[in-house]
Amino acid sequence: MERETIYNKLNEIFADVLDLDEVQLTDDTTADDIEEWDSLSHIQLVVAVEKAFGIKFTALEIMRWKNVGAMVDSILSK
Amino acid sequence: MVINSITFWLFFAAMALPYFLCFNQKRSQNVWLLIASYVFYGWADWRILPLLVIVTAVYYGLGLAIAKNNHANPRRASSLTTLGVVSGVGILFYFKYFEFFVREMAGLFASFGLPDSIRTLHIVMPIGISFFTFKLMGYVIEVHRQTIRPTRDAVQFATFIAFFPTILSGPIDRAEAFLPQLDEVRHCRVSDVSEGLKRVLWGLFLKVCIADVIAPWTDAVFLNYQHHNATTLLVAAPLYLIQLYTDFCGFSEMAIGVARVLGLRVAENFQRPFMAKNVAEYWRRWHMSLTTWITDYVFMPLNIAWRNCGQWGLYAATLTNLVVIGVWHGANWTYFWFGVYHGLLLCIVTALDKRRKRFEKAHHLKNNEPYIWSRRLLTFFCFTLGSVLFRATSVTDFIGTLARLGHGFGPLYTEEFSSLVLCAFPAITLMFLREWAAEYGRNIHFMHARDVRLRMVSIVLLIVYIVYAGQLEGQSFIYFQF
Repeated sequence: MERETIYNKLNEIFADVLDLDEVQLTDDTTADDIEEWDSLSHIQLVVAVEKAFGIKFTALEIMRWKNVGAMVDSILSK
Repeated sequence: MVINSITFWLFFAAMALPYFLCFNQKRSQNVWLLIASYVFYGWADWRILPLLVIVTAVYYGLGLAIAKNNHANPRRASSLTTLGVVSGVGILFYFKYFEFFVREMAGLFASFGLPDSIRTLHIVMPIGISFFTFKLMGYVIEVHRQTIRPTRDAVQFATFIAFFPTILSGPIDRAEAFLPQLDEVRHCRVSDVSEGLKRVLWGLFLKVCIADVIAPWTDAVFLNYQHHNATTLLVAAPLYLIQLYTDFCGFSEMAIGVARVLGLRVAENFQRPFMAKNVAEYWRRWHMSLTTWITDYVFMPLNIAWRNCGQWGLYAATLTNLVVIGVWHGANWTYFWFGVYHGLLLCIVTALDKRRKRFEKAHHLKNNEPYIWSRRLLTFFCFTLGSVLFRATSVTDFIGTLARLGHGFGPLYTEEFSSLVLCAFPAITLMFLREWAAEYGRNIHFMHARDVRLRMVSIVLLIVYIVYAGQLEGQSFIYFQF
């Protein structure tokens, strides 16, 4: 799967889970950049991403993510 | 040697002058900082110093071993990390909770009519143990997660753990932010010294002009709650929350300021919690170094593990998170129930979050000031009630305090209240004004005015206020007991 396709899908998931009109994610986007993205909504995002891509992340993998780019790398590695 | 005492500042001067003037290499600065930190800690309680040195050495070795095995043998790396976490929790449990546990068990046996032969153990709780064990555990977890590389420099690591401004009461620093700073020579910069001393001054103001002025009155009320009416208790409850905030935030400001003078930046601990619009936001602004630590190392792993349990998994992780924060404060059922109370509040906020957002959108309330302030007041009320539980010496005392509210209103207890009105209330007003202005991005200048005369006048006025209105007897801090 292309990186761009993943981002298009992720933008939709983030907008839906965080109840936002539009989201433009990049490799460097972190929770500090989106007000609604906190520790409570983080896991809802993880679950939605796993469901949408039909994959399962390990706990250590999730905890090692530092930005959206790292999450995309994990999706690509599956 | 408390940070608001003359002894501390003599010690600091004797430490800081050679630090900048005699040592011009990072290594010698770190060695000097470590010696000073051990002297400071030994001054507080020399009997515990060997424990601090031993655990530092063990975790230093663990960090290196985990990093070595992260790729070569991931299973061993996980086992070593577990060992680090279990040892940290074990040390905390023994010194902080074991005596309480034994006492409770003895009470349980006695209630069943079994012989109660257990004596009091008199375990000495090392001062600052809740803070440095969290630093140690956080370090090995981060090495395992590969978000940091372990330091090979033992002096650097020991300095990070024992750093004297923060070892007794935080903020709980992260290796990721602190260790790289020890890897560079620190120069005496006017900007750092000036900013550091301003923060010390503000912290001292909060501590001696608000917290220490309020303390005798709230102590007199809560320690004798049976003799007070609802009026007095309803005034004392929010005042105690303000006392707790100014005591701990005052200490944190001073610790951050002292570190800044030495050219080091440590974690922030408070971000205007009284401006929070809900309980979740309050916890993101209150004792931030502890709440982010517990969020990263307790809440997130639990939340990840229970992520397929839907909302109930989230609620269970939230409740556990807050109970851990509660019992971190000490071995008393009041702290446990304090955690449960806040955990339940946080679950309610989470459950209603989407509905609240929709409601605000439909009624255009997001930037409506009366609506925002009503939310702030409700949050303040929730934390005021929680702080009464936090302040109570036992759950029975807390229930007794609440029951007194039913005994009706009456005249306010005014013994020593005049010093509160004359000294603390103007200071509280200034504090709220400053926090309100900062929250709305309005610069009221104060100690950071561009005009040097205005800056100097603000600083001098603050010093004059501290000298004339403050309690300058070097009172200890509430959070030292944790």
